[in-house]
Amino acid sequence: MNSMRVDNHPVFGSLEKRKNITIYFDDQPYAAYEGDTIASALLASGVRTLRCHEDKGTPRGIYCNIGHCFECRVRVHGQNTVRACLTPVENKMRIESGILATASFKGGKL
Amino acid sequence: MIDLVIIGAGPAGLGAAISAAENGLEVYILDEFVKPGGRLLGQLHEEPDGKWVNGIAEAEKLYKRAIQLGVNIRCGVSVYDLMKLDQGWCVYTTDNVMECKCLLLATGASETPIPIPGWTLPGVMSIGAAQVMGNVHRVKPGKKGIIIGVNVLSAAIARELQLCGVHIESILLPQPNLLSGDAANPEKMMESLLRLSHLAPSALIRFGGKWVSPKLGARLYPKNGFKMWDIPIQLRKSALEILGEKQVEGVRVAEITANGEVVSGTEKVVSVDFVCIAGGLAPLSELAAVAGCSFRFVPELGGHVPLHNEYMQTNLTGLYVAGNITGVESAKVARAQGTAAGLSIARELNALADHADEKIEAAIMEVMETRKNALIQFQPGIEEARKKLYSEFYETSEKASMI
Amino acid sequence: MGDNETVICRCEEITLKEIKETIERYQCSAREVKLRTRAGMGPCGGRTCRCMIDRLVEQLGGPSISNEISLSYRPPVRPVSFGVLGGDVK
Repeated sequence: MNSMRVDNHPVFGSLEKRKNITIYFDDQPYAAYEGDTIASALLASGVRTLRCHEDKGTPRGIYCNIGHCFECRVRVHGQNTVRACLTPVENKMRIESGILATASFKGGKL
Repeated sequence: MIDLVIIGAGPAGLGAAISAAENGLEVYILDEFVKPGGRLLGQLHEEPDGKWVNGIAEAEKLYKRAIQLGVNIRCGVSVYDLMKLDQGWCVYTTDNVMECKCLLLATGASETPIPIPGWTLPGVMSIGAAQVMGNVHRVKPGKKGIIIGVNVLSAAIARELQLCGVHIESILLPQPNLLSGDAANPEKMMESLLRLSHLAPSALIRFGGKWVSPKLGARLYPKNGFKMWDIPIQLRKSALEILGEKQVEGVRVAEITANGEVVSGTEKVVSVDFVCIAGGLAPLSELAAVAGCSFRFVPELGGHVPLHNEYMQTNLTGLYVAGNITGVESAKVARAQGTAAGLSIARELNALADHADEKIEAAIMEVMETRKNALIQFQPGIEEARKKLYSEFYETSEKASMI
Repeated sequence: MGDNETVICRCEEITLKEIKETIERYQCSAREVKLRTRAGMGPCGGRTCRCMIDRLVEQLGGPSISNEISLSYRPPVRPVSFGVLGGDVK
């Protein structure tokens, strides 16, 4: 398969065959395996940027990968703040990278 | 009402579920992750005798035993609040609200970050994130990476990533600043590496091994570092900045003196497609805090831990803790603590029929034995710090009972 | 990028400079830093940056880290929708 997958491992052995499914990230189709999380499926396809910071617009991807940091939050079927690292993929799942805030609220700080 | 709800399906949670269910308790385990096993899932290392310790297989064994005993395990469920009831505890989850007689928090630890310019770029992740990606999801975190932070965890995971077919360019120190503390100091890091020497004897003994003082070691340390499993460990180099437009493209590194000061004119850019940050672990105690536990700050145990005793009881009736929430230690210690907690809970619920006290005392001895034999000591002084914590527990509970 | 521009709170993008200036100007506690800068108030609830804020406050002459947890945890410790709070399943 693709070079980002660890299909064979010297200690764990080879991956058993899993069902191929398709997910959509910002309307682009990506191949995934059943059992992937959104984050692992997208990374396997070379997608690192999962969202942009709502206020500053800087790109973000996974950071902790176990649900602590909320950096990988995406929208799934219209639901906000879904952690890509903890959410298993489903066939035809529609994932969006979220939206930028229209205006900055940070004026008079300090 | 359920007898016992356990939050966290790692070695501590599963260990507790097994010993509680073996004594007839009805047990539920909740975990946020997609599968049970907790930190065990990422672990893979070679024992001195050449046998591989495979955390996924260990987790599978514990899981199967728990299921066999009728334990209910629910993954993908988050707990967002806890409330004390007259008799027992109320657990608020993203699925439902549960009531139980006893509650065990086995939430483990979270990683401590080391902030570096550029660390919000996609492709920068915690060392644990890379471990889970490679070992659990079987996806490489990248093709070629640098690990920032030299410690027990980063050296072990670098090796695991290598086994996944990932090239680790080097493990080096963070740039010294207000936050890096000891992590940017070659001498201090030499000290912690020497505690690892039994894991890769050849590399460190060649370098001086046990007889070299950390101070001398850091000074004598070769500029290009030494190699552990063919991965360069560079105590005399530091990462100044992570570079990239939309994602990681490289790291700006420089040589540093034995005290950690940057040597000017030595800067260069190393091109990589991912970076791991290894700042160590801290107990994840947020649920103990919302429950209302007392806390102690214990650096040897990794930070703030809920006040508890050797029976894994907190100062709140029916609330127990086990595993890394009580202090950062190995998975084996966590499991042994879980077993002790499960038995203590069975005793509280009058389910531990014969020789209750002896069984619990044996379980506590097992925790201490496991600690003594642990291959990896995260921090020195753990046993002493724990003794002090337990005596403070009894002092405060005596005071409370006098009021 | 200078050291000062390093982000400390990733959720709210609060930099080392902003936190340092706040501590130096107000000689304040971690809690006050949080209230003044929003560091630690994003979706992760300060799980990622709280230890760094504690350390900065201590390093810059504010209160030392004590047994008390400086940035208190409040429920819900995970962001949940009103639906979930109201008893709906997710």
